Amino acid sequence: MSETSNPQLRARDDIVLKVEHLVVTFDVGRELVQAVSDVSFDIARGETLGLVGESGCGKSTVGRAIMQLPPPKGGKVIFKGQDITQLEGEALRKTRTALQMIFQDPISSLNPRRRVKDIIAEGLQIWERPNQRARVEEVMEAVGLDPETAADRRPHQFSGGQCQRICIARSLALDPDVLICDEPVSALDVSVQAQILNLLEDMKARYQLTMVFVAHNLAVVKHISDRVAVMYLGKLCEIGSVDAVYQHPSHPYTQALLASIPELETSQEDAIPLLQGDIPSPMNPPSGCRFRTRCPKAQAICAQQEPAMQASPSGIGDHFVACHFPG
Amino acid sequence: MPIESGNRRRTPAEPLPVRRKTSYGSAGRASRALSFSVAVRQVFGSGFGTGFWLAAGWLLLVAACALFATVLPVRDPLDPVIVNRLNAPFTSNWLGADGLGRDMLSRLVHGARVSVVISLTAVSIGMLIGGSLGILAGYFRGRFERALMAVLDVILAFPWLVLLLALVAFIGQSLMAISLAIGLLWIPAYARVARANTLSVVQREYVLAARAMGASTLRILLREVLPNVILPVLAYGLVAMGLVVIVESALAFLGLSVEAPQPTWGGMIAEGKRHLAIAPHVALVPSITMFLTVLSLNYVGDRLRSRFEVKESNL
Amino acid sequence: MTDSQHQTQQVPLLRVEELTVRLRGEAGIVHAVSDVSFQLQRGQTLGIVGESGSGKSVMARALMGLLPRRATHLMEGSVSLAVDGRVLELLKLSEREFRTLRGPRLAMVFQDPMTALNPVLTLGVQIAEPLQLHLGLNKAQAMARALELLTQVGIPDPEGRLRQYPHQLSGGMRQRVVIAIALACDPQVLLADEPTTALDVTVQRQVLDLLLALQRERQMGMVLITHDLGVVANRADHIAVMYAGRIVEYAPTSRLFSSMRHPYTEALFKSVPRLSDPSHTRLHAIPGRPPQLIDPAPGCAFAPRCPNAQQRCRRETPALAQIGDQHLHACFYPIGSKEVGA
Repeated sequence: MSETSNPQLRARDDIVLKVEHLVVTFDVGRELVQAVSDVSFDIARGETLGLVGESGCGKSTVGRAIMQLPPPKGGKVIFKGQDITQLEGEALRKTRTALQMIFQDPISSLNPRRRVKDIIAEGLQIWERPNQRARVEEVMEAVGLDPETAADRRPHQFSGGQCQRICIARSLALDPDVLICDEPVSALDVSVQAQILNLLEDMKARYQLTMVFVAHNLAVVKHISDRVAVMYLGKLCEIGSVDAVYQHPSHPYTQALLASIPELETSQEDAIPLLQGDIPSPMNPPSGCRFRTRCPKAQAICAQQEPAMQASPSGIGDHFVACHFPG
Repeated sequence: MPIESGNRRRTPAEPLPVRRKTSYGSAGRASRALSFSVAVRQVFGSGFGTGFWLAAGWLLLVAACALFATVLPVRDPLDPVIVNRLNAPFTSNWLGADGLGRDMLSRLVHGARVSVVISLTAVSIGMLIGGSLGILAGYFRGRFERALMAVLDVILAFPWLVLLLALVAFIGQSLMAISLAIGLLWIPAYARVARANTLSVVQREYVLAARAMGASTLRILLREVLPNVILPVLAYGLVAMGLVVIVESALAFLGLSVEAPQPTWGGMIAEGKRHLAIAPHVALVPSITMFLTVLSLNYVGDRLRSRFEVKESNL
Repeated sequence: MTDSQHQTQQVPLLRVEELTVRLRGEAGIVHAVSDVSFQLQRGQTLGIVGESGSGKSVMARALMGLLPRRATHLMEGSVSLAVDGRVLELLKLSEREFRTLRGPRLAMVFQDPMTALNPVLTLGVQIAEPLQLHLGLNKAQAMARALELLTQVGIPDPEGRLRQYPHQLSGGMRQRVVIAIALACDPQVLLADEPTTALDVTVQRQVLDLLLALQRERQMGMVLITHDLGVVANRADHIAVMYAGRIVEYAPTSRLFSSMRHPYTEALFKSVPRLSDPSHTRLHAIPGRPPQLIDPAPGCAFAPRCPNAQQRCRRETPALAQIGDQHLHACFYPIGSKEVGA
């Protein structure tokens, strides 16, 4: 894999998290599958980066690789100036507390045999923080759980939305800098989903969080993000501010994604053709540009040469696209 | 204990703990609580039923007999009263007498002791050693798991009776020695059960969340994995105890269990064999007792296990 | 809704009247479906929208006769299907009689295409089987028809696919096969229960468009069940919104979107994140959560979360009432009524 240059990495001094040339591989039987290959992006303090793509594009894997769960095969994850892929043991465990994660399935994220207050206090107990009780009560109140009635219960006594609140409270207890949300609302009902999204926005403001928001739903991502990165088959296709990516999508894949969302507003017969076919298997990705097999604009060069990240023709700052024929 | 949590009632949660909002309903369940599959599954998890309680009652009775054998008002199990020889049940001996005129009831009660002690010890040994190995294998995977599974496969492939005979010949015929021998035999089965359960628990995100929190491996094993693996393993223990009772009786039948004249159920059946033609009750009474005990163990174990499974899937 | 309210001359293909289903649950009797009535004409698509626990899936399974008897505490009302000029009362059929209907009359597409297919049989066998069973075709005829079906649902290289197993296909392709199986015996009514929820966005749209095209081409009646208003918005002729086992609003699609009357419909509509909103727009979340359906409290099930709720809503359950041409709702204080905000 040739190392491409990364114009999308910004030269700002408030960058909290920077991911460079991230590569994650999995053993599938005898074969090695590159779930994430050469992905680079950065997040500034207080920013929310939305990571979108369809299933199998590696977006969740990126989220976990940032946490070093498991550590990536290649590349760097630079958190506050330190490459955490080099850390091990105690140092890694300690650094992880500043990066927290919430997951898609709130019910499977909570140990059924423990009480809510113990679940939330877990990190505080591990690191022997002072005033654990007060802290637990504070975060419970913050996420809208009543410490009086909820603390002594077990997860199965709560609904899915409530469980997600517990997960959020747990992740906030250690006062992290970065919160990685892995499809946090996709298992929830629409009416509950809105509550949790609003809650995440509130928590972000209250605890000065920087967020990575992984989701497949573009509308949800738009609501919560400042910047958006679009992934396809383990590669980054497009990255830029929400307005740039949603108003001026430059990668044909982003355009197709946006066109395929079922919208409530009356029929928008779109000019952009719908995508044909399915996502190829990541076991054996297409040569050159990985999207070319479904791309309406694909030409010969797309099969030969992998497109590098370049400034988008939208002309908007910090908007980059990896396509031979953007726009 | 499994019974306690297995019997858990679905405690209705208080109204929604989000304060400012009005709340509705209770029964805190996942928001998909009423999806079709759950609704159907609930049917199979409802209550334990009378069968369960009958079986549990029988097991309690056997356990009580074993515990209080020496103080219960039964005759001396070793005292041969020749006039009572092969007495039928419901005569001067409630359950009849054996070929030496010993009281069957008394021998059953004292024999329960052997069955209970052996099954408890053997299963505990298997559970402790096999369970720990299985959890470690399921958590760490890799070379350790492969090596362990290979060894266990070899043990499982070995004819167990031959192995047992060799072990008993080697370590002797005392109660403890036999318990130990049978216990060693149970290690592979337990390791497998524990490993399978660990594998599914490790995939749960709460384990990942604990790691994200900076929890050490030991802490994860003790706090997150063990409590979720131990219940299915304990429930399996009851089924295993049933099998141990049978294994012990097989040994006794071959004359390799606890030495005579100490009564054991298997030994009683072996002895009854000689009188089958004229006094079938000598073999039948211990056989029926054993049958009921093993059946109860299986039944209770099975119900508890399915209860845990339902619980897991509901979560 | 009764006959007089529905002034259609045609005998409806499927007519459901006051269908009530109660299931036995561990914690008690689940009032899964209550008093649901609707009708479906040939060539029409009815969208049923509801969150999890709204009873939409239980209702679909009740229509298909797929609810296990031992789990069913009560099933009342009437479900009638017009078959060759006769009207069959489905709830009165035995399991055996019902089996002859599934396939040629009624068919269903499930949410998860992986579990809906048998992993150890080739696709060809799975498609051909109902054809041999219901239409009495021989093996060669059935395989030829299977090939035709796979072509119709847009599967590339259909001949090769016939010999493949489900795991060799992607999710979208699998769902196409499931649709092919459902359509194999030319059903009159197709029930699609969240047919695209397990699929990716780009594939979701392809599959929905395919379903709709097939429905039009074959003039089937289709019931499209989903939690996503966006899925039915441009596709269904009518939409029924379900909440807590009841239909709370029913209207032709365009009318529903232009003048929704039930507060729940509106709340659901507003809580969906839209692409057209700017980033960081605060969403209109519905406070609280859906009610439990065991021992439901009296009154309107939505009352505790409803901005319009008044005393009466907590005492009485509003019935589904007609308010305009084919527009029905079940609310005492619907949006736009005078009493609201008093």
